[in-house]
Amino acid sequence: MKIALKINAEASTFEADPDMPLLWLIRDEAKLKGTKFGCGKGICGACSVHVNGELVRSCLYPAHMAHGKEVTTIEGLSKDQNRLHVVQQAWLEVQVPQCGYCQPGFMMAAADFLEKNKNPTEDDIKNSISNICRCGTYPRIIKAILLAAQTIKHENIN
Amino acid sequence: MKTSTEKPKKGFSRRKFLARSGATILGSVALLYFGRSRVRGALSNVAADMKFDSGVTDFDPTVWFEVNADNSITLKSPKVEMGQGIFTGFAILAAEELDVDFDAIKVVHASTLSGPQTTASTGMSNSTASLYTSIREVAATLRETLKLAASKLWGGPITTLQTAHGVVTSGSHRATYAEIARQTKKWELAKTPALRPASAFKMIGKEHKRVDAREKVLGKAVYGIDTDIPGMLYGAVLYCPYFGGAVKTADTTHAADSPGVLKIVQDKQWIGVVAKTRYAAEKAVSEIEVSWAFEPNYSTKDAIKAITVGNGTPVVMQDEGDATIDTKSERVIGEYRTPLGYHASMEPSVMIADVSGETVTLYASTQNSAFMRETIAAETDFKEENIQIIPRFIGGGFGRRGYKHNGIEAVKLSKAVGKPVHLLYSRQQEFQNGHVRPNTHHILHGQLDTNGKISVLQHEFATGSMAFLAVPIAKPIIGADFPAAGHGARIPYSIPNKTAKIWGGDLPFQTGLWRGVGMFANTFAIESFMDEMADKAGADPLTFRIAHCGNTELLQRRKKLLLKLGEKGGWNTPKTDPIGRGIAACEDRGTISAALVEVQIIDKKIRVTRVVQAIDAGIIVNPNGVRQQVEGATIMAVSAALFEEATIENSQCMQTNFVDYQVATLRDTPQIEVIIQESLELPSGVGEPPISPVAPAIANAIYQLSGIRLRSLPLQAALDTHYRNSDQ
Repeated sequence: MKIALKINAEASTFEADPDMPLLWLIRDEAKLKGTKFGCGKGICGACSVHVNGELVRSCLYPAHMAHGKEVTTIEGLSKDQNRLHVVQQAWLEVQVPQCGYCQPGFMMAAADFLEKNKNPTEDDIKNSISNICRCGTYPRIIKAILLAAQTIKHENIN
Repeated sequence: MKTSTEKPKKGFSRRKFLARSGATILGSVALLYFGRSRVRGALSNVAADMKFDSGVTDFDPTVWFEVNADNSITLKSPKVEMGQGIFTGFAILAAEELDVDFDAIKVVHASTLSGPQTTASTGMSNSTASLYTSIREVAATLRETLKLAASKLWGGPITTLQTAHGVVTSGSHRATYAEIARQTKKWELAKTPALRPASAFKMIGKEHKRVDAREKVLGKAVYGIDTDIPGMLYGAVLYCPYFGGAVKTADTTHAADSPGVLKIVQDKQWIGVVAKTRYAAEKAVSEIEVSWAFEPNYSTKDAIKAITVGNGTPVVMQDEGDATIDTKSERVIGEYRTPLGYHASMEPSVMIADVSGETVTLYASTQNSAFMRETIAAETDFKEENIQIIPRFIGGGFGRRGYKHNGIEAVKLSKAVGKPVHLLYSRQQEFQNGHVRPNTHHILHGQLDTNGKISVLQHEFATGSMAFLAVPIAKPIIGADFPAAGHGARIPYSIPNKTAKIWGGDLPFQTGLWRGVGMFANTFAIESFMDEMADKAGADPLTFRIAHCGNTELLQRRKKLLLKLGEKGGWNTPKTDPIGRGIAACEDRGTISAALVEVQIIDKKIRVTRVVQAIDAGIIVNPNGVRQQVEGATIMAVSAALFEEATIENSQCMQTNFVDYQVATLRDTPQIEVIIQESLELPSGVGEPPISPVAPAIANAIYQLSGIRLRSLPLQAALDTHYRNSDQ
């Protein structure tokens, strides 16, 4: 079927099997490779994207369900590449990535988390984000999310 | 002030086994590191405790570097970036001698087509250790070559030239490296100059951000899986999930009719599909009807039975003094087991093959291009020199990417369709068709003298192989994989009478190297037992260990590090909560690593709340990089210590995804502190050593907290069993 959607604010139409996971449409049709395949069962979160502002694990999300919707991937998280999204800034500041493979999924999850949690504690982060990182960057992910939360707070005051 | 010198490496007790094993066998671990062609040359290094050279065969600066028009410099790394931060480390080393700003170095992967060639894999915690001097020499030679070219352009002696920030100056003359490169038609290679002393370092040892951080944060880093070349098709392969199985009968009619399918390729042990999209390829694979021929009914129990002390042929790895147990006196006996484990890298194995006539190009997430090239040449019609390997970023290595992987299948599929094919393992295949960390079994006997010090210690242990996969002949000849799986089995402490003996068991599935190699399991056994002996002696576990650190250089370094860890980690700080503290240490390829762990048990669940790691790895190139590796190793160790266990039923690995193979998540993250020992010794490895002390430190902490001595991994399962048994 024809699937018309906006990816990172750009309107596109793809001819694809309606049941194909959105992940493969993003990666292989739209050629945006930042969103990763990890487990194919919605467990590890490497494929996390936003669909109409909601956090979605795209390896389990049929492409046809994205028809007419707006998808944001890691490549579109920062609306302005000269001023990175607060989560990406924090990720750089704390030097989170090692192999980096799972990090786009984590940053998409973190951005969504911060939309809903303005004043998070370490435990809130630990209990809310279930993505998997095998390099063990968790301590820095926690640090980076707390830093991003602080930055948002300061920006709102100023 | 001490200067950096190459220290004599503590070797295996050669007299004990060299006579019967012969040199060819020592090559087993070297074979996986180097591939076939270089094994002989590496043998003496293997005997010296897994200290390998870099395998890099080319040190011409013009092969390593390109001076770009914008005055940046491209460094072609012969080692693959898989998260360990080697690109950043290499950039620091090069910038130090090149006299350019750190940001001016752009690091890319070398390949078989471009840059320094290597016969070795990326691994063994060896990249910085083996290339620390070489990279600075190559960079310094490039700097001098640029100066030589400038002196010819300006007509003055080279001694009057100065370099800084990528610019050569001499009196009123001034030119960037790029300008010199542009004006120089014929290069004369300078002699390699003396390197800067550590006291003059401007870059080495300073905090540096990762060179790959930005592209990874932007989602623009290119991993193997991200390879996308014109005309590329998608492959999926149905592998036999049963050990050693082959296709008995197959019906591919439905698969062939499945939408988007272009080709079905049937091999002895697998059936492959090439299709227009990944979804179409995977859907078609699910429609193949197949029955497999295999030996059924092998289970975890069989693996445990096969890996049991007393089964097979023992090889003596250490024999000092007279380690006979005095049966009239009291002795302590400890029996430990570690389970089978998976790497579970986040990026599943992936290979993109592009066959064109007699040549094939592979875009690969591999730790071992050389080995892949050799095995593909051996199993296909392509000559080794016609196989090109282009490495990409790897989405997690941990030893998983040291093998041939799906390269052969990718080549065969690409050849069948005459187009590039992108072949990806499913997560289930990554678990069921990977290389499993072998299970181990350890029995330790110890006796104390009248002063409460250990007089006799015996360590007998059984293990599957880690490095023998590549040389099946090795096992029958030498009996056990002591170079890799036996790594860390020798008792490091000063004890007058001690032995270590390895029993090599046979497992009917692919086993392999896992972060830490044999050190992970052996440290769990030996450092748990040291605690049991300390308990028997009524001694504090830290004091007891220090009392057994004798006068060798490595033990003195261990003592110093343990003391520092105890002091800075708060070993004796009064406890406010019901917590247990445990400590453990290891010496791994010249690096000393020690961990102090705090645990709680809440609702019968082990919570690791705090881990303080101390590491002495010689000169530190990038402290930020070292902290990252130590933190990461700590998390992976907590995960393996508490949760991870691969199981087998009916001749197949039972875990299929992260839902049935629990790994640590954010919830399991303890507070982590990293203490880095300052040192002027040459660098040793960092990626693996810190993983090994964590599991025994947790077990020791649990004992201190609860009096429960857990002697098998994973510890949560062992604790569950303990509660179950005590409830009955």
